[in-house]
Parts: sequence; structure tokens; C-alpha cells
Amino acid sequence: MIVVNYVAAGCVFCIGLFAVVARRDVIKIVMGLSLMEASTYLLLVSMAYRRGATAPLLSNPPSGQTQRDVVHGTVSDPVLQNFCLTAIVIGIAVTAVFLTLAVRVAQHYRSVDAADATALRG
Amino acid sequence: MNVQALLPLPVVIPIAGAICALLLGRLHRRLPLLVGIVAMAASLGVLLVIASRVLAGHGHVITVYFSDERPFSGRALGIAFSADPFGIVVALLAAALGAVLLTCAMSELGHLGRRELGLLACLSLLMLAGVIGAALTDDLINLFVWFEVAGLASFGLTGFFLEQPTALEAAFKATVLTSIGGFVIFTGSAMLYTVTGALNLGQLQQALPDTVSHSIAVGVALVVCGYAVKAGLVPFHAWLPDAHAAGPGAVSAMFSAILVDLGVVGLVRMLICTRLVLPRLGDLLMWLGITSGVVGALMALAQDDLKRLLAWDTVSQSGIIVVGFASNNPEGIAGAVYHLANHGLFKALLFLSAGAVLHATGLGKLSELGGLWRQRRVLTAGFTVGALAISGVPPLNGYASLGLIHQGIADKPAVHLLAAIAQVLTVAALARATYLGFYRPRAQEYEHLETQHVGMRISLGSLAIGCAAFGVLPALIVPRIAAPAASFVLFTGAHAAGVTTGVTTLPDLSIPAGLPGGTDLLTSLAEVIIGILLAAAYIRWGEPRPVGWLRRLHTGSVNDYATFAVAGLVLVCVTLLA
Repeated sequence: MIVVNYVAAGCVFCIGLFAVVARRDVIKIVMGLSLMEASTYLLLVSMAYRRGATAPLLSNPPSGQTQRDVVHGTVSDPVLQNFCLTAIVIGIAVTAVFLTLAVRVAQHYRSVDAADATALRG
Repeated sequence: MNVQALLPLPVVIPIAGAICALLLGRLHRRLPLLVGIVAMAASLGVLLVIASRVLAGHGHVITVYFSDERPFSGRALGIAFSADPFGIVVALLAAALGAVLLTCAMSELGHLGRRELGLLACLSLLMLAGVIGAALTDDLINLFVWFEVAGLASFGLTGFFLEQPTALEAAFKATVLTSIGGFVIFTGSAMLYTVTGALNLGQLQQALPDTVSHSIAVGVALVVCGYAVKAGLVPFHAWLPDAHAAGPGAVSAMFSAILVDLGVVGLVRMLICTRLVLPRLGDLLMWLGITSGVVGALMALAQDDLKRLLAWDTVSQSGIIVVGFASNNPEGIAGAVYHLANHGLFKALLFLSAGAVLHATGLGKLSELGGLWRQRRVLTAGFTVGALAISGVPPLNGYASLGLIHQGIADKPAVHLLAAIAQVLTVAALARATYLGFYRPRAQEYEHLETQHVGMRISLGSLAIGCAAFGVLPALIVPRIAAPAASFVLFTGAHAAGVTTGVTTLPDLSIPAGLPGGTDLLTSLAEVIIGILLAAAYIRWGEPRPVGWLRRLHTGSVNDYATFAVAGLVLVCVTLLA
């Protein structure tokens, strides 16, 4: 638990959200979404951490500690770190889809203004 | 035979099929979709075997842990699949409709090239695998993974014809909104895990404390908002009409009939988990659902584009389904399960008909169509059956399930009244579409009508028969399928017990099986008559001003739609924290 990191994650999320809500540039919207995504990584890794914790590795314990000490002591939560990896993989796939769409938008409308792509309304 | 060992198969088969479809597409053009149909049929077969065990008696929950990672001292860290009566209904629906719709895609889109057909089959199978996986999984993060699998496949399908600007636009909006949904689900799930240490849904339910802390409330709110985006609840809905109307008929049908259920599954799982500790969530979802019901139907009434009209109706119907689940009442929940299946059937039928109209005439706007009943009898019959079913005309399927839902919310007069209004508006929207599109005399003949393929007739026929069969057999479906599902959703203890043991038996829940009495028939008839009068008035005098305001609110700008979603997120958080 690192409160500063939570606040930072919240701020990064809000900056990303601002870009998605208030920017019409397609590339900036994609960047905003990437920022929102990055903020979840920061949040997750921070939630996994505990004060004075070691990495969740049970083989080769640090000098002076046995494996049992590591298991019973504080380690950061490997499950949340695992989610983070999953999220990074999914995030890359989604960003790739986004950029493909952005390229097609740029090719078709000859601009990257999201306001041009509002034929479907009401 | 050990049914537990079969549980992963319904998901594994479509994923394997998706890979085979891409590879076999090099041999022959038609092979990928054929592989797709075979894979979905095989998946359906396995699901039927599982369902015969799950739905036997009063219903059972069958749980299996992958790689045999069983719970250790009450903590389940392994990923579990569990077949419960509610999930199995969704999975069966996805597999059965998937097979029918892929058959239809083969006849409708068979002229496409080798690469396109391979990709189409691959993406459709991945999307269906995502929905079936979401219906069967028992793990919060695994549910998110299936959400993303289905989501990524659906982006590809939405923008399948990227050379059409509307498809491009719709795909972009869908991707932005669904991604935001994905982030909030992910953050919410991680928050719930940090606070409770539980990922397994059954364990999560036991681990939630009686007095809910702020972090749990926010976690639940985030997860709910994410799945509400997929279910298309107002105010998270704005991307849905664009995305569901963009693709070819069979793909739109898959989105509206199957993919929306993924969001509903997520919402129902959260409802089950928090029923005892956070009852406000039920009330909140009921209001969100009924708002979607009314807004979706009102917007459907105002549409000129036939497919867009049906997509708006999906917003409305999915709202009504969520209302049923949130009603906390056996009849309401049974009706919602029943309506979920019925909506899949009639919405697939309607979208296929709309796609066939577009294919035959090249026109998609109601103002340009008309007089089709003379030239296209089968198509007109198909659309009319779907419209009658959605309007709740007995003996078609909408009547039985809507009756149950309305019965379930009878103790909440305001919601009941709004549900009746939503139903009247739905009848009006479909009556207007049917008249303008098919029965209205057209000034001049169509210059050219494309021929209709046999596969399309077969699909339309089988779906229409499904609509009729689900309508005349409530005495079989309600006690054997809907009642166990309602029992599972309502008696939350059953799910929690499923964490540790392989097979759990659900408590008995008896729901009146026969068609509800005379008042229901009269209400339904009154709704249909008022709806038809409303449609006539709408055609005669045009759009009233408030509908114009509502339409102008949907500006088509992705920024505005994201703003709606954020406003909804804040609303849900504040309500659950209050």
C-alpha cells in the first residue's frame, strides 16, 4: 500500500479520461485511453505491495532467510502482479486495434478529427 | 460419464475451430464457415449433455477446477468453471444461435473472398467462445478475460467492412466505449480482490463483509459499470446502436442476440454476489434497466434506418431483462431468464430479415422501402413473426416471458407502469417498421430484387419456429429451465457452496408454469392496441418535440458518448456509496 501511488494513479487516470472526453483528435483519444490503462497498472502494482515486502519468489530466498521465512513473512501479492501482466498483454492488443482504426480514419476522412466521424447520430 | 470433465469443451471447441477456420480457408472458400458451423454444433452437443445434468431435478451446480487446483483451506486461487442453470441457458443460446447464424452468414456472404470468409468465421467463433466462456466461468478475472476476448473479436466484426465509413465510425466508437468498460471492470475486480482476497465468485460472496466498506462499494460500482457498457444500459448505451447496425445482417444478429448477454451475465454475477450485503445495487440496476427500456423504445420509434431501429430495440429489451433480474422476485428472475432466450430468438430473426431486405433491395431506410409483402412472402412472414413475438402477442414467445417479468415487478407500481410504457413504445416501433417496410403500398415497383438464398430461408424458418415453440411451451420451459435458474440466482447460498464441492443441488422453487390468467392477456392485448394506435399517430403526425430533443442528445460524437458513460459511472458510484 503506497498512498502516493494511488493518488498518482488516480491523477493519471483522470488525465487520460480528460483526453478521451475533451479532445477530438483521434490520436489523442487513443493516447488518453493508453494513459488510463497505464494508471491501472500503477494502481495494481501498488495494491500488491506491502510495507517491507520482498518479491514473491520462493526459490533462492535472500541470505539469512529460509524458504519458510519467506512464506510466513511479507511478500507482495503475486496474483495482482499477474493481473498486471495480463492487462499489459490485452492493452497492447487493444491499442493495436485502435491504431489500425486511427489509420483507416485518417485515410478515409483525410483528417484525424473525431467530429468528422459523426454520420451515425440520433 | 463424468460431466465435470466435459465443462471446458464448449469453449475449447470454438477456439480450436477458429484456428482451423483460418488454416482451412486456404484450401477452399467455404470451408471456414463450414468449420464454424460444425464447431458450434459440437459445442452445442456437449452443452446439451452438461445441461441434461445441470437442469435435472431442481437444478444443480457443477464445478470443476482447472489443473485440479482445488480450494485450499477455503481459498480458491485456481480458475474454476461452473455450470449453473443460469449460465448454461446463456451458453446454450449462444451455441445454438451461433450455429444458425453462421449457416445464414454462409448463404448471405458466401460471395466474399477466401481471406474474408476465413477471418469472418475465425472472429465469430472467438466471439462465441468468449460469450460461452463468460457464461461458464466462476472467476472474476476470468470473466474479464472472456469479456476482452469477445470484445476484441467484436471490434473486428464491427469494422469488418472497413471500406464503409459508417462501419469504421461504429467500430471506433465501440472500441473506445468498450475499452473504458474494460478498464473499470479490471480496476474494480482488482479492488475487490485486494479487500476480500477472493476471486472465485462463490468465495467472494462469502468473503464480503456484512457492512460494506467504501472500497468494496467502489469496486462493485466499477465492475457493474463495465458490464453495463456491454449490456447497453442507459447511459452507457450510446455506442450500441451504431455498432449493432454496422455489420452484415448475420453479424448484427450475433451482436444483438448473443453478445449483449455477456454484459447481462456480468451484471447478474455481481447481483448474486452482493444481494445480501448491498441490496441497493438491485434497486439501482432496476432503475437503470427501466430507463434503458423506455429510452431505447422511444429512440427505436424515431428511427428511419431499419437495422438501427432494431439495435435501439436491443437497448430497450436488454434493459427489461436487467429489470427482471434485479427484481429480487422468483417470477421476475424466471421471466428474465426466459426473456433472455426469447430475445435472442426474435432479435436474431428480425436482424436476419432486415439483412435480407438490405440484400434484396439495397435499401435500408424505412422511408424508401415498402410493399415488400407482394414480392418477398417468406421474408415478410419472418419479420412479422419476429415483430409479433416482441410485441407480446400470444402464443408467441414474448408474451409468456414479458408476463412473468411484469408479474415480478407488480409490487413496485412506478417500475411496473414504466415497463408497460416501454412495452407500448416497443409495439409502436415494431408496428411502424413492419407497416412502412413491408405492408405500405409503394408508389413504383423495385427496379431490381436480388434472389434470396436457400440458407437464409432455412435460418428464418428455424428461428420463427423457435419463437413459436418457446411461446407455446412455457409449461415445459418455466418449471424445467427458468425455475432452476431463478433458484440459482435467488438462493445465493447455493453458489457459495459450489466453491468446494463438485456438484451442488439447488433448492426447489415452484413458479406458476401455465399461462398467467385473464388479466395478463387483457393487459398484453391493451398494450398491443395502444401501441398500434401510437404507431399510426406517429406515421400520421411525425415526431413529437421531446423525441427530437432525445435524438439530438445522441450527437454521434465519441467524446459525448464517453461523457455519458463517465456520468453514469459517477452516478453508480455515488448511489452505491450513499
